[in-house]
Amino acid sequence: MTMPNTGNQPLVRMVDIHKSYGQVKALVGANFHVNEREIVGLLGDNGAGKSTLIKVLSGAVPLTSGDIFMRGKKVDLRSTSDAIANGIETIYQDSALVTQLSIARNLFLGREPLKGPGILNRMDQDAMNNVARELLKRVGISKDIPPTTPIGSLSGGERQAVAIARAMHFDSDLIILDEPTNNLGVAETQGVLKFVRGARDSGHSCIFIAHNIHHVFQVVDRIVVMRRGKVVADDIDPKKSTVEEVERVITGMSEADIKAAVS
Amino acid sequence: MENPSILKRFIARPEFGPFVLLVLMIVVFQSINPSFLSPQNISNTLAFTVELGLIALAMTLLMTSGEFDLSVGSVFGFSAVLMWTLFNAGVTSLEVGFLAALVVAALIGFINGIFVTQLKIPSFLVTLGMLLVVRGTALFITDGFPQRTWNATGSWLAEALVGDFYVGPFRLYMSLVWFVIAVVVLGYILNQSRVGNWIQASGGNPNAAAARGVKVSRVKIGLFMLSSVMAALAGIISSIRTSSANPNSGTGYELEVIAMVVIGGTALMGGRGTIIGTVIGIFILRLMRNGIIMIGVPGLAYNIFIGAIILGMMALHSWLERRHKAGT
Repeated sequence: MTMPNTGNQPLVRMVDIHKSYGQVKALVGANFHVNEREIVGLLGDNGAGKSTLIKVLSGAVPLTSGDIFMRGKKVDLRSTSDAIANGIETIYQDSALVTQLSIARNLFLGREPLKGPGILNRMDQDAMNNVARELLKRVGISKDIPPTTPIGSLSGGERQAVAIARAMHFDSDLIILDEPTNNLGVAETQGVLKFVRGARDSGHSCIFIAHNIHHVFQVVDRIVVMRRGKVVADDIDPKKSTVEEVERVITGMSEADIKAAVS
Repeated sequence: MENPSILKRFIARPEFGPFVLLVLMIVVFQSINPSFLSPQNISNTLAFTVELGLIALAMTLLMTSGEFDLSVGSVFGFSAVLMWTLFNAGVTSLEVGFLAALVVAALIGFINGIFVTQLKIPSFLVTLGMLLVVRGTALFITDGFPQRTWNATGSWLAEALVGDFYVGPFRLYMSLVWFVIAVVVLGYILNQSRVGNWIQASGGNPNAAAARGVKVSRVKIGLFMLSSVMAALAGIISSIRTSSANPNSGTGYELEVIAMVVIGGTALMGGRGTIIGTVIGIFILRLMRNGIIMIGVPGLAYNIFIGAIILGMMALHSWLERRHKAGT
């Protein structure tokens, strides 16, 4: 699989991925890729394997067999910090941030800029706050929120925005959004979709997972559907397909089957 | 969310409630018994207050990281016993005995940390077990008797730890200086250093912290060691000041120290901590103990007041928390 970087090399390629939890086979030879500057919508019914695929890619669970390549180079993702070091950032709702800490402290957690001499060095909080203020503007939070605000007092959509802003600032190549629009209101959902587009336009790729197919259709460039631990369709263009067609791919039923099931 | 006035921001701080209570206590005690604020009473109160305070400061950082340590009271008693047993038996000099006691304390903290972070056992159980092991060891090596009293005057180490000096009419101990240094250093670490950010993140959301590359286990093990070493230091200081090393001393201190920390506004479950709040909490509990005796309330009633303060402060902090979450 070692090919020279030809320029149209995908950003991430997952080849023949298997993952078993004891007797349960969650992934049985899944193949998946994400290109540069692309938003991929990952769809599938409950138990189709999309969470497992994402967990493997974000380093949260080890794979049983298979290979993962970043820009053609094989990578070994044993932990979430491995994944982050390889430029893969996963944003789970709520879980990626520390609610007690401020926006700025969350943005720089683990990579705090320092100032001052030697052992007396301290976090450069002015620099952190300034960058945070800029980033919040860049992801499109129009409200004037001070960067010292604790995450706990932000809305769900604003928290997603902070997590996306962090991924963008630290140059994550791939931002995985797992159900980013769950439990969000209509306006907040539109906000998050805007942040995702903003991330793509500044050169990042995203994987977007959502139960709500309509949200997926609004934002993604390409739809990938999983069923029973495999990718069954990986090149659906949302501009040329309808929600109903995609739903049929997800369930694996023909139009006639569905009519029969409904009636 | 504009720019609230300085007064408003001051009131919104978690330390504000405890601060008001402390001022109120001083006013009430002083108005009932004018010798409450006499130099002699202040000097006496300060001497023991800062000894417990050293433990409370370390416990603040540990609790901010989401853990706590019930073994500090037993380490307080054990370390003094260990140092003086080594010295009295002629095995080591006082200085080496002192170092040995601190190293053993650090090891106790390290073991606590390993059990909590590597074996994933809650700190409540680990440090409860350690409490019994350490207290039992202290009783066993001394046969339950206090160690021989000695004359430590003249030792530079004793002078550096608890030597007394006068500032005007106040008789102060060197332990106060160590306490102030600890307040400044630990406050700086918690609020200004990147380690402070890691401590708060480890307590607030350990998974998120680990995902950002924070070494959560290392942070917690370090803080368990700090907590034990500070308890040992406090125990040794106390033993020199009172000229006694009793294997039972420090019994119950763990709960008093934890009470000091939570009264000050540090969250019991971690994620948020305040050194200034702890300093206020330390003084609330110690001045309460001193004050109710000074105004003639029987000392046996002390726990009623302490319990009421804890309940009242917890109610206040949880109310502030809810108001905070509601976004006002």
